Amino acid sequence: MFQEHLMNNNKPHPPKAALRLLSWFCPTELYEEIEGDLIYQFNKDVKTVGEKKAKQKVLLNVIRFFRPGILLRNRITIPLIPIYMLFNYLKVAVRVMLRNKSYSFINLFSLALGITAFAFLFLWTQHEFSYDQFHTDKDRLYKVFNRTYTNGKINSWDVTARVLAPTLQEEYTAIESAISYTAWGEQHLFIEGDKRIVKTTGAYADDAILTMFSFPLIKGDAKTAFKDPMSIAITEKFAQELFDEEDAFGKTVTIGEGSESFTLNVTAVLKDLPSNTDFRFEYIIPYKLVEMLSGKNTQWGNNSVYTFVKLKEGTDINQFNEQVKDVVQKHNKDADQWEVFLYPLTKMRLYSRFENGVPDGGRIEVVRLLAMLGICLLAIACINFINLSTARAQRRSKEVAVRKVTGALRNSLIAQFLCESLLLAFGAGVLSLVAVYMGLPYFNQLISLHLTLEFTNLNFWVGGLLLIILVGLLAGSYPAFYVSAFKPVKILKGLVISATGKSRLRAVLVVFQFGIAITLMVSVFVVQRQIAYLQNRDAGYNKEHLVYQYFTGSLKKNFEAYKNELLARGVAQSITKTSTPITDRWSNSDAMEWEGKDPENKTLFERIYADDAFATTAGLTVVRGRDMDPEKYATDSTAVVINESAAKAMGFDDPIGKRIRDNGTEWHIIGVVKDFILTSPWGQVEPVLLFGCVNSWPFSVAHIKLSAHHTLQENLQVMAELSKKYNPDYPFEYEFVDAAYARKFADLETTRTITLVASFLTIAIAGMGLLGLSSYMVEVRVKEIGIRKVMGGSVFSITRMLTWSSLKPILIAVIVFGPQAWWVMNWWLSSYPYRISVGLFTIPLAALSIIGLAVIITSTQTIRAARTNPVNSLRNE
Amino acid sequence: MSKEFLGEFEELVLTMVAALQEDAYGAAIAEEIETRLKRDVNLSAVHVTLYRLEDKGYIKSSLGGATNERGGRRKRIFTITSAGMSMLKAMKDARLDLWKLVPQLKMITG
Repeated sequence: MFQEHLMNNNKPHPPKAALRLLSWFCPTELYEEIEGDLIYQFNKDVKTVGEKKAKQKVLLNVIRFFRPGILLRNRITIPLIPIYMLFNYLKVAVRVMLRNKSYSFINLFSLALGITAFAFLFLWTQHEFSYDQFHTDKDRLYKVFNRTYTNGKINSWDVTARVLAPTLQEEYTAIESAISYTAWGEQHLFIEGDKRIVKTTGAYADDAILTMFSFPLIKGDAKTAFKDPMSIAITEKFAQELFDEEDAFGKTVTIGEGSESFTLNVTAVLKDLPSNTDFRFEYIIPYKLVEMLSGKNTQWGNNSVYTFVKLKEGTDINQFNEQVKDVVQKHNKDADQWEVFLYPLTKMRLYSRFENGVPDGGRIEVVRLLAMLGICLLAIACINFINLSTARAQRRSKEVAVRKVTGALRNSLIAQFLCESLLLAFGAGVLSLVAVYMGLPYFNQLISLHLTLEFTNLNFWVGGLLLIILVGLLAGSYPAFYVSAFKPVKILKGLVISATGKSRLRAVLVVFQFGIAITLMVSVFVVQRQIAYLQNRDAGYNKEHLVYQYFTGSLKKNFEAYKNELLARGVAQSITKTSTPITDRWSNSDAMEWEGKDPENKTLFERIYADDAFATTAGLTVVRGRDMDPEKYATDSTAVVINESAAKAMGFDDPIGKRIRDNGTEWHIIGVVKDFILTSPWGQVEPVLLFGCVNSWPFSVAHIKLSAHHTLQENLQVMAELSKKYNPDYPFEYEFVDAAYARKFADLETTRTITLVASFLTIAIAGMGLLGLSSYMVEVRVKEIGIRKVMGGSVFSITRMLTWSSLKPILIAVIVFGPQAWWVMNWWLSSYPYRISVGLFTIPLAALSIIGLAVIITSTQTIRAARTNPVNSLRNE
Repeated sequence: MSKEFLGEFEELVLTMVAALQEDAYGAAIAEEIETRLKRDVNLSAVHVTLYRLEDKGYIKSSLGGATNERGGRRKRIFTITSAGMSMLKAMKDARLDLWKLVPQLKMITG
């Protein structure tokens, strides 16, 4: 060695890495001589070809030794022991599982439930994060927002003037393209051959829409598709509807009919939009066409379209926002304090709520909440495994001791127990894969999406495997360390490890489990009560027998005849045509004027136009004045009926006869109706003005109060018949107001289902864990119970004692997590202006139901134990 | 024994082991082949062949001394066994018998 060091200092020596490589694959018994030969060769080479070349040659020579003649001389002796032991571990694991079928079942099943719930929530979360991330230039895409100052508060909203997009494009060099975009749900009739299809899923957009965003084109050129105004882009699905299997590209399709019909060329066929985009359309009609027909809308005060912008590469968004913010002020003298800013498209889905002008979360909160829920469910399932295996560790103590005595290292014991938990996690993973596969259609229905499992995607399998390994390690590592630390001397001497359920950690984990259970239970109660509360809220109008029908085709033209015949045949009690269904907002303004208006008052008033007796048709309660009746009063063409909120907002004590100016017309108030819900059943009631109107332009829908003298079936039959008569080209379509109203609850109902399912799962998993723990506790204490009975303990007192010891952590959970649940639910409710309070009794009620459930679960075990004959438990030993 | 055959390179290495006697180890054999036959051989081929010959029982080996050139690593000295020797002889005789069948032509010079 000494020699070698000397030599190393003076002479060049072969690269260490090459020799290390050799040592890695070369059999040990051959290593020394081969290495020696290589060094010999190297030293010779240094003299002939120089050090650098010689080093390269060493590496080359080493690589040449990587051949079967050398490799196969490796005796596979080193890994033999772990593999052999692995089989032993697996064998023991399977035997242990089979010996305690009920515990294995609890472990496996609760882990499977946890993983399944986690997988569903993960799929959903992942989908939420992928919204509009597929656009190639997503980092340069922005939506234009307004920032307006009213009553000292900043409002941020995203509906802009039609003229904004062309103005931006023209005046700001940093903008590559800017478009207006709308998807109002306007009805279009498509005619192709003898097919007539009515669609409301169209969008109007400027030409650049196809180049800005990356909606995949099947056919057509994104750059030139809308060169001609008479063109249309349609999705694959719609193309199939129109043209069946034929190639839609280059074909023509007719929209509308009679004098108002156009023939458009299909200049682009798009792939169906993916579900992870907030754009929703089946066809795009260029704005050029709309403007050719109805003129350009150059009013800055009319905000009704979305504006999207693509910046040039390298533009600093903050700087640009500084530049662009006064664009509306420059063009619109009325809009002082009106600013514009760009907000990233990629943030629209999750971060698009603004509070006083700054971004303030949004949907991301729901996503986070549900992601947390998923993690909690998984954790609860892991806790079951941890608790049951540490509690039952005593059973394995002899095995551990024997293994240790025969020479097992602690590490190999840890490996053994991790093997067991991994095996279990793997089993649970397979179960939950099946469960997710089978349950996905229901889950999709619940969240109204179409999520799929990507079986062909490698990431799916790798991710799944990683999850399973993670779960196995999480659940298994504590038990593995705990059990492997047993001292063999104590165990083999017969000292019993205390395993009566008195572990502090175990208690803490149970507290955590039931804490989550109680939180979810409370939320189920609160959500349920809130929904019931909102559904029982007086809408302010009578939804029953109230139907609305959109004006399609010639229905608007023939409305009077249609109306008269419906009334004459006794089908309808009252019919009113209006600008919107009573369940929707249509138009609003903060610029109305009236006598004695405070100039600072910027209350937003909702407009509804109605031709006749809307209060009667919708069942609104007139509290002052009268309903509209243009037949009787000719002046009702400029009459307005307001609701109580509007009267209050305008500061009228006696509103009747007062005048209001709006849109250049002077209106007089003839009546006041009780507040009614226009938009959301949980919001504040908006101030609403019902304008009388003789012109026909604002009207798009007829409200029909059906007669109660006939059955619904009969009424609808007559309506269908008359619709066919007066509007032969369009299918008969109608909507019940109560159904439309009920749809407002869809989101809340999803929340209810999710909390219901999640709390059911939590309670199921935690309950199973409790069952396992209490049955084990009873098993361990069987002698104690026997002695107590012999000493005269009653079944009741013993049951009480045993149950009490299981219940303690649950009581602690109630005390610790109850207030937190109350706080969470208060937070949730705070987003509903019209809401219940969490209530004093909600938490005790939830606590009682959880405790009740826990008592039932534990007493199944404890009563049986308390009733057993002490002879059976005490006779042996 | 006669059923077994040696490849050309095996025969060469075996002959080298017999020739070099106490000095027969991987690097030396490779070097010797290179200098005497002007033939490029690589070290791993020689080693693999040596091990194969040892498996077949024609040579045996023991660890020998270490030198400076080898960085203090010992060499594995191979010696030919009697089985190896008779194999070599048999091959040489067979080769000579065959050689006799070839018509002895005069070398044409120039």
